Amino acid sequence: MNIWVQQIIQVIISGIVTASAYAIMGIGLSVIYGISRVFNFAYGSFFTWGAYFAWILFATFSWMNYPLVFLIVVPAMFFLGMGTEKVVVRSLRWRKNWQVTTMMVTLGLAFFMDNLALVIFGGFAKPLPPLFRGAINPFGFTLSVQDLAMLIIAIVVILVFSLFMSKTRVGRCMQAISQDMTGAEIVGIPIKKIFSYTFGLSTALVGTGGILLAPRYFITPHGGWAPFFRVFVIVAFGGLGSIRGTLYAAFILAIFESFVSWGLGATWVMPFWFLVFLGVLAFRPSGLMGTWG
Amino acid sequence: MKMQMRQELIIFLAIYLVLLILPVFLYKDAYVIGILITCMVWGAMASVWNFTMGYAGIFTFGQFGFFVVAAYTSGMVTKYLGISPWLGILIGGLMAALVGVLIGLPCMKLKGAYIALITFALHLVVAPMIKVADPLGTGGSTGLMSIPKLSIGAYTFSRIDLIPWYYTALVISFLVLFVVYKTIFSSIGLGFIGLRDSEDFAKTLGINEYKYKLMVFGLSAFLTGIMGGFYAHYAGIISPRLLGLDIFLLVMLMMIIGGMGIFPGAFLGGFIILFLNEFLRPLEAYRFLIFGAIVVVAIKLMPEGILGNLSFFKNRMGKRLLIGSAKAESSNSQKV
Repeated sequence: MNIWVQQIIQVIISGIVTASAYAIMGIGLSVIYGISRVFNFAYGSFFTWGAYFAWILFATFSWMNYPLVFLIVVPAMFFLGMGTEKVVVRSLRWRKNWQVTTMMVTLGLAFFMDNLALVIFGGFAKPLPPLFRGAINPFGFTLSVQDLAMLIIAIVVILVFSLFMSKTRVGRCMQAISQDMTGAEIVGIPIKKIFSYTFGLSTALVGTGGILLAPRYFITPHGGWAPFFRVFVIVAFGGLGSIRGTLYAAFILAIFESFVSWGLGATWVMPFWFLVFLGVLAFRPSGLMGTWG
Repeated sequence: MKMQMRQELIIFLAIYLVLLILPVFLYKDAYVIGILITCMVWGAMASVWNFTMGYAGIFTFGQFGFFVVAAYTSGMVTKYLGISPWLGILIGGLMAALVGVLIGLPCMKLKGAYIALITFALHLVVAPMIKVADPLGTGGSTGLMSIPKLSIGAYTFSRIDLIPWYYTALVISFLVLFVVYKTIFSSIGLGFIGLRDSEDFAKTLGINEYKYKLMVFGLSAFLTGIMGGFYAHYAGIISPRLLGLDIFLLVMLMMIIGGMGIFPGAFLGGFIILFLNEFLRPLEAYRFLIFGAIVVVAIKLMPEGILGNLSFFKNRMGKRLLIGSAKAESSNSQKV
């Protein structure tokens, strides 16, 4: 096979794999902004902390494996998110200009969490062991089992999530709130409780993304900002509140990113995301499939 | 309105009167003078930020981007083209204003989180751009070095004697704050305060939203840029590390502690935070952990900042504050 074609396919595969983690995190961000109307600036820090929790488990117990890590860290992130909503965000909700206030508070929280990580773990990058070792070679190009596993996990998570949103009571309550908060309150949906769940759900999703991406990159205290920004661009591009839009956007943009990084070098990745963001906001602020609200 | 204007002006002038005579007692202590200069630079920047965020209600995080763009512009034109640093500061400011207007344009149609994110994205993107533009002479990640010092006639400023720097910072920051003050209490200021508090109503009165927002973006970027240009010549070396989140956190704290939407608050906040910063320096990494916690606690317990909690400000300023503890009408809390 032509070496160029092979390389291009490799780049596309790498894009798809990153996209699957971005998609999970994008859904989390979309959920929290679409349902509880809070813009969580600490989202990137929850990403970092999800990975750090996994690292702690691996560093403490030599027999630790990934299924157990997910089983422990994801619920832990859920409760951490719920706790954050209760302690930090809830009382601000009834103030005037509360959206601005919550952004400031979550930004402060982000600084707190980042620096807590810096104090505890130090500035050195921490590695996580690979999800799986080895690689398979379908049709002459390499696909590591780790990437394949990431993709499968992401698909499972997204499927479970959409089932949860459409079939369960809590999921339907969330949808109702995102469509009309006053209406949902009138028909007796306990919105405060649902907001808590939403926060928990979103941090659980971003924590999952953190664990999935950490074996590919390293964990650093301030490492959450770049993925956070990318995920926001993805959500904006896909349209806030639209899960399907977020999925499309994640795959389109992550593949582009992977081409930019391959063709122009890693320094151009951030400017690329910024340009995409400007373009989206200038030409179609409602995103691919979103309703502008 | 008139009373309130006088009070703010009195506090503002009183601060500068103190700053004006302070070196008489402190001229030997270069360390404190140095901190005071930094206080003026960051305090003025926090005030301009407060002007955008607290008064105009535009949730911007891009001020550091403007600051660094202006600092690099001023540093580079003076270093490579031999232009006078005074002119360089002005060019830096204009360049920042240009960037501000360019960033402001897509923000016209946007609200809340989108503006916050787009301006924060500017903040994140400036550092990689400086590294990419290394061949143009930005110095890459090591930074731009040996930037020419300011000079008046035959006298060139030096790091040995900080007093001339001190008074230059005093004059420049005074001018910047004065412009902010004049704008807030002019018809333009009334216009954007109206837009902030009741957008639809303000629009029906014929206030042109686009014009005002763009003006706020341009003006705040220009004023921030002036401080950035001054900083470049004062420090003599600038690097992308200026865009680190540590300084960002400090300046944001100045605004929160000083009280958002209170004119001299952020400037006073600058002094409080920077001296606290020096005081806490022995704690090293824990320092920013504490500062992060202060942001959260301060917003929760003291939403109006230190000045806002003083009694004579409280009643009068109630309506002007961006973040109030009063219960909002339900319609307000349900807007997306």
